[in-house]
Amino acid sequence: MSSGGALWGVGRVWLRYFDVFRKSAPYYLVTTFTEPFLYLLAFGFGVGSLIGSLEANGAQVSYRSFVFSGILGQTVLFQGFYEASYGGFVRMYYQRIFQAIAVTPITLSEVLWGELAWDASKATLAAVIIAAIGVATGDFPLRAPLAIMPVAFAASLLFSGMGLAVAARARTIEQISYPQYLLVFPMFLFCGVFFPVESLPGWLQWVAWALPLTAVNSLMRTLTLGFPFQPWAIPILAAWLVALVLYSRRAMVGRLVK
Amino acid sequence: MPPLLEVVGLSKRYRTQDGGWLEAVHEVSLSVAAGECLGLLGPNGAGKSSAIQCITGFYPPSGGAVRLAGIDVHADPKRARRTLGVCSQEDTLDSDFRVLDQLARHATYFGVPGREGERRARALLERFGIADKAAELVESLSGGMRRRLQVARALVSQPSVLVLDEPTTGLDPGMRRALWAILQEERGKGAAILLSTHYMEEAERLCDRVALLDRGHIRDLGAPRELIERHAGSAMVEEEVRPGFVWRRPPNLEDVYLKLTGARLDEAAAS
Repeated sequence: MSSGGALWGVGRVWLRYFDVFRKSAPYYLVTTFTEPFLYLLAFGFGVGSLIGSLEANGAQVSYRSFVFSGILGQTVLFQGFYEASYGGFVRMYYQRIFQAIAVTPITLSEVLWGELAWDASKATLAAVIIAAIGVATGDFPLRAPLAIMPVAFAASLLFSGMGLAVAARARTIEQISYPQYLLVFPMFLFCGVFFPVESLPGWLQWVAWALPLTAVNSLMRTLTLGFPFQPWAIPILAAWLVALVLYSRRAMVGRLVK
Repeated sequence: MPPLLEVVGLSKRYRTQDGGWLEAVHEVSLSVAAGECLGLLGPNGAGKSSAIQCITGFYPPSGGAVRLAGIDVHADPKRARRTLGVCSQEDTLDSDFRVLDQLARHATYFGVPGREGERRARALLERFGIADKAAELVESLSGGMRRRLQVARALVSQPSVLVLDEPTTGLDPGMRRALWAILQEERGKGAAILLSTHYMEEAERLCDRVALLDRGHIRDLGAPRELIERHAGSAMVEEEVRPGFVWRRPPNLEDVYLKLTGARLDEAAAS
């Protein structure tokens, strides 16, 4: 195979990550699915049995299904962000993998695209498996795992971009905690994973909609629960996606290359 | 025949934290022919690593050009770097892979098919005396073994240009000599080697020519013997190596280095 094209370089980097994933599959499966499963059990089945059903965005749905769908957004948020931020920082700062590959015929730009593509693929895979479980429990229609894939991948790429940008800006690995507590956790709590955004005070609804996870959850619920489509979710998602992917790459190149 | 590595008027400037500019490399020109080893010597902060980062195409230069096998590494990095093997100063081994997989994986970045990459990897591990560690994790290797593995990795693509940044740092004398023998073999096969080192004995033994870099400028470039005669003369040097013990020896490259770079104790301490 020729080492010519940029896509070839991105693919080589993606394969490197895939091989690491494959060799440590049990570890990754435990770390990838334990957290969403626990949320599902605690909120979907535990709290869900107390609440019964709720009305959100003009639709009536069981709380368990509502949370199940929210867990899809939570999964791409956590998987994308953590893999690219902590994982990216380790690969850039401690392992220096980016630097080692970027002096081969694979360019730094391709290395970073490969990193983002893998982080997004892994998060998408996790979301698709959660959706398949939702099908098995009767919460989602049969088409849900396939139907969510484009949104799951775009959202995973977005949150991976957020993570990589954080990795590029952090001086120490501890500094990643700042965006984790000030941005990721608030999104997780207030962007519609566990309750409808409409139940927040008006000003907080605006804040929630300004953050990307609300748009992701809105689209996921349209695709899995048949909630009415909120068209503004698309430009919000697209704007964050483009901004974060471009910024993360620029920040990481700026960090590595003088 | 054109040199395999050609650096023409290479400059590199950085923006400093106070908003000013630092010229780390100033119009450096050098070339390395097939089968030649060129040493890059200089104190810490002389600009060696910056120059090497530009030569490998990782840093964009502020001026000048770098050609690997006649291909501009900044204009066409993918094609140019197919000829390049790099051992960087820092440990950049991929700790997610075991020793053999490490080399085979690196070969794939050059488009080497998997089976051929594994064959080359096994041969290199034999050659570097770490074949028995093939299935081990990188973390389990000693510092010296990791260094050897990193040099082995630079060879897995069978490069015609080798850029080695302090490859023997941390190696014991036996390992260092074994590595020198391997570098001589590579040179014998026609590789052009750019070797950055702090070991003057290493530079004198391995390098056909040596460039002395200081504050971004090449102070002089020539064969080690030539440089010694030019800057240190031929008279025996007397040194009081400990109180009351004077050592008389012929001048060497270290005398040239100290004379041209004006290395002082505070700079040595900074290293």
